[in-house]
Amino acid sequence: MSEATIEVTGLRKRYGAAVALDGMTFTVRPGQVTGFVGPNGAGKSTTMRVILGLDAADEGRALVGGRPYRALRRPLTRLGSLLDAGALQPSRTARNHLLWLAHSQGIPVRRVDETLEQVGLTGVARRRAGGYSLGMRQRLGIAAALLGEPPALMLDEPFNGMDPEGIVWMRGFLRSLAAEGRAVLVSSHLMGEMQDTADHVVVVGRGRVIADAGVAQLLAGAAGDRITLRTDAIAVADVLQAEGGVATRTGPDTWSVTGLPPQRVIAALGAHGVPFSEVAAHRPSLEEAYLELTHNAVDYRAPGGAR
Amino acid sequence: MIAEFGRQVRAEWTKLRTVPGWVFALLVAAVAVIGLGLAPGMSGSCGTRGPGSECKPPIGPGGEMVSDGLYLVAQPLAGDGSITVRVATLTGAIAGEHGKRPGLVPWAKAGLIMKASTTPGSAYAAVMLTGSHGVRMQSDFTGDIAGPSDSPPRWLRLTRNGDRVTGASSADGTTWITIGTVRVAGLPSTAQAGLFVASPDYTATAGGPFGLSGVESGPAQATATFDHLARQGQWTASEWTGTRIGGPGNGGPFEHQDYQRSGDTFTVSGSGDIAPLVTGAAGLGVSITQTLVGTFLGLVAIVVVGALFVTGEYRRGLIRTTIAARPRRGLVLAAKATVVGAVSFVVGVVASAVVLAFGVGVLRSHGVYVLPAGTGIELRLVVGTGLLLALSAILALAVGAILRRSSAAVAGVIVLVTLPYLLAVSVLPLGAAQWVLRFSPAAAFAIQQSATQWAQVDNVYAPAEGYFPLPPAAGLGVLVAWTAGALALATVLLRRRDA
Amino acid sequence: MNALRSEWTKLSTSPGTIWMLLGIVALTAGLSAASAATAGCPAVDGCAVDPARTGLIGVQLGQAVVVVLGALLLGGEYGTGMIAVSLAATPRRTSLLLAKAANLTALVAVSGALGVLGSYWFSRLLLPGRGYHLGALTEPMMLRAVGGSVLYLVLVSLLGLGLAATVREPAAAIGIALGLLYVFPIVTSVVSAKHWKRHLEQIQPMGAGLNIQATVNLHGLVLSPWAGLGVLAAWAFGALIVGWLLLIGRDA
Repeated sequence: MSEATIEVTGLRKRYGAAVALDGMTFTVRPGQVTGFVGPNGAGKSTTMRVILGLDAADEGRALVGGRPYRALRRPLTRLGSLLDAGALQPSRTARNHLLWLAHSQGIPVRRVDETLEQVGLTGVARRRAGGYSLGMRQRLGIAAALLGEPPALMLDEPFNGMDPEGIVWMRGFLRSLAAEGRAVLVSSHLMGEMQDTADHVVVVGRGRVIADAGVAQLLAGAAGDRITLRTDAIAVADVLQAEGGVATRTGPDTWSVTGLPPQRVIAALGAHGVPFSEVAAHRPSLEEAYLELTHNAVDYRAPGGAR
Repeated sequence: MIAEFGRQVRAEWTKLRTVPGWVFALLVAAVAVIGLGLAPGMSGSCGTRGPGSECKPPIGPGGEMVSDGLYLVAQPLAGDGSITVRVATLTGAIAGEHGKRPGLVPWAKAGLIMKASTTPGSAYAAVMLTGSHGVRMQSDFTGDIAGPSDSPPRWLRLTRNGDRVTGASSADGTTWITIGTVRVAGLPSTAQAGLFVASPDYTATAGGPFGLSGVESGPAQATATFDHLARQGQWTASEWTGTRIGGPGNGGPFEHQDYQRSGDTFTVSGSGDIAPLVTGAAGLGVSITQTLVGTFLGLVAIVVVGALFVTGEYRRGLIRTTIAARPRRGLVLAAKATVVGAVSFVVGVVASAVVLAFGVGVLRSHGVYVLPAGTGIELRLVVGTGLLLALSAILALAVGAILRRSSAAVAGVIVLVTLPYLLAVSVLPLGAAQWVLRFSPAAAFAIQQSATQWAQVDNVYAPAEGYFPLPPAAGLGVLVAWTAGALALATVLLRRRDA
Repeated sequence: MNALRSEWTKLSTSPGTIWMLLGIVALTAGLSAASAATAGCPAVDGCAVDPARTGLIGVQLGQAVVVVLGALLLGGEYGTGMIAVSLAATPRRTSLLLAKAANLTALVAVSGALGVLGSYWFSRLLLPGRGYHLGALTEPMMLRAVGGSVLYLVLVSLLGLGLAATVREPAAAIGIALGLLYVFPIVTSVVSAKHWKRHLEQIQPMGAGLNIQATVNLHGLVLSPWAGLGVLAAWAFGALIVGWLLLIGRDA
């Protein structure tokens, strides 16, 4: 078992009557960014707190590099984490915040200045953290996670509050960490943020994993055989139906066609003299793949109510 | 485990010193203790009315401060010998707010004495009848042996044999009961021997109108008539000499003290006490403990820091970062307690050391007589003040970890530590006050007590006068128990609860 | 008016509030009952202790919760960042502070009255058995002691609110308030210089303020009952004014 893995098996947890985790199982592998995606309340943060030993699961286990987090002597050198960027004593400076963390792990002080440099906070390191913007706090949180040069990283919603420039920086940064061979788990409730960041996605809903797949695989699955057709001729619906396809109007001059490959659509339209300006195979977004998956998950659960 | 603890202590220390508000509060605590200790809030007349007005209580043979006030009717006795007398009557008068009234204080004394000299503080042995403590044999201010609990008329006899003096009493002058034999090392070969009368001040607790001192006190005088005086041994003088030694200051209501002899009967009036010196109602000056009153104010600041040291992390979710960095939660709490306790201890020790080094001088320059305490007691006060602050800080930390709210923790601990003391020294009757100071965390202020309680001195041994019901270490132990209990509960909850 | 209502909603929907109000009633009445049940007459010349003060002593404990309530009302919002939301809803900061003060006054007046009346009821029941006579509520001095104790608690809560507006850290505000109330008298007790001691007794918020509970030996007081309560009022409104000036002059 590599040190750079996070392994979650069958986690269950209830808060009173509410089920927070319902058999959560997945593995975060080294060398890639794993997106941890789901709607608010799907159990992402609870899973992360269980991994960190902050919350106790009723069942199941979570291992970091093969060991429970609570058994780690210098945990920040095994798993760097960022749960809540606002968790700062406002009157303490950013540098001092990292300093006490370094002292707690026996990490040399030079790492404090190195990580500050790495996240671009060197210039403001001696200012009170209370005066930081949310984006700066996220950077400080990343610095804290990197302090112990851990083989695994776990970040909860790191894109929150970042400006576009910061988001681009964060993406590149996360990819470079994965390229160094680290296991990186990044949660988000926005699938779009993952599209250009993650290699692998774990989609969760209502406390369990709905999909656990590579991003490419997920996109292929969601693509289906849909075709986008641009025309202002109403006759198109009848023409294609006769060929065995289904055309659904999606805009004033756009249609979505299923059941026919693009070459047969072009042939049929040409044969009936229907004018069109564009026929294109649909390029799905991760957003759509995600909505489809979570939609199904909701459907699947709806009849049973809250179980 | 030890390396982990060491690293966590270092991390917590870094946390503590990097929040400017907390450092400020710790400085405030030190300044409060020092400032109130050195503030000239007291003034007195000792030494301010020119030479001779210094308050210098006599030193007894054992080196302790004593009061030595009595009326002595004596003549020299060379070598061994004895003296016998019958105390026929013993009455007294008390001076209150509304003038004199009859009344005999419990420790009024009339009897026989052999004393090294008429110098206050000199060695002595005496046998006496008291106001309400029966017959006693006392020596060198601290020695006290109880005899039969009789009242006048009563025969007394004092016999010297080398440096040993034996006291005896009798109801009829023929059957004698020996009360005790004491060794009086300081008695010269020729001692002053004769009759004496003394009467300490009257004291009583009176629930005053909410002022913090519900104590009434005033001078008192006792008058005894003696007869059947008999002597054995080598008495060199032929006449009796009356001498007033010590006693209440000039201009008191019992200025006029003397003795009258009519045939075989002596009538002697005296004021004052022959006993160890105490502070408070019946004594003189103040104890050095009172210079440490700033401890209470310092404690408030320390408690705020102690509570915020953990509740501040809960308020901002920082506790999760802390626990993620150190998953052994018990270790986190132990390290926090170590750091905040050690820092508070240093604040307490430094501040109280400054007060004890300079405070006594400030008070003396304002004419307040401060009862000196031995180096051992001063050391206990300094270390004790440090421990008091350290334990309060840890208690606040533990309560903060239990409640996870700074407001409730701060208010709770301040109320637990200061309110019982305040109530005990202000409004509570003595019994309730002592009960409260046995069980509440405020019992720990006993560690700051510097006054000694004497059975043979009638004083108001109340918390308000600086006398605690528990001995110093036991009082501190009560706070240790509270703190340990809270810390144990906090550890269990911290382990059990989701962070 | 809207500020008043929104503050009321905030206060009444905060789960801690009801517990603190119950705490005020329970601690005030509880300590008073304990005091009345154990009161004694130690003095030789009869009971010099004021029965009203003995029977209403719980106010000294209940006021700690009152301070917390007052300090948290504003200080708690600084702790959580809620203050920004409050100021967005009520941009006129004076109105915000007044609304908070008005709600606080109402809450403490009601809970304080319950606590003080409970104290009086227990004392009326228990004190005669301990050799004291406690007057009926219809006696002017007794009415002043009971009603004044409620006013005392209201003023203490405003002191807490004013200090919280001043220092913005509720824990520090509570520390300062309780230091003023509890430690001031302890410090005064060791002052032996008579005129100093008298001045200090006249200006301490708790010692002077509780003169309102006096029903016997009035000539022996350092301040008359109402003047004593006035001293506390001066502390409370002084703190409120400083807090108000800082609230309107400072960024939230």
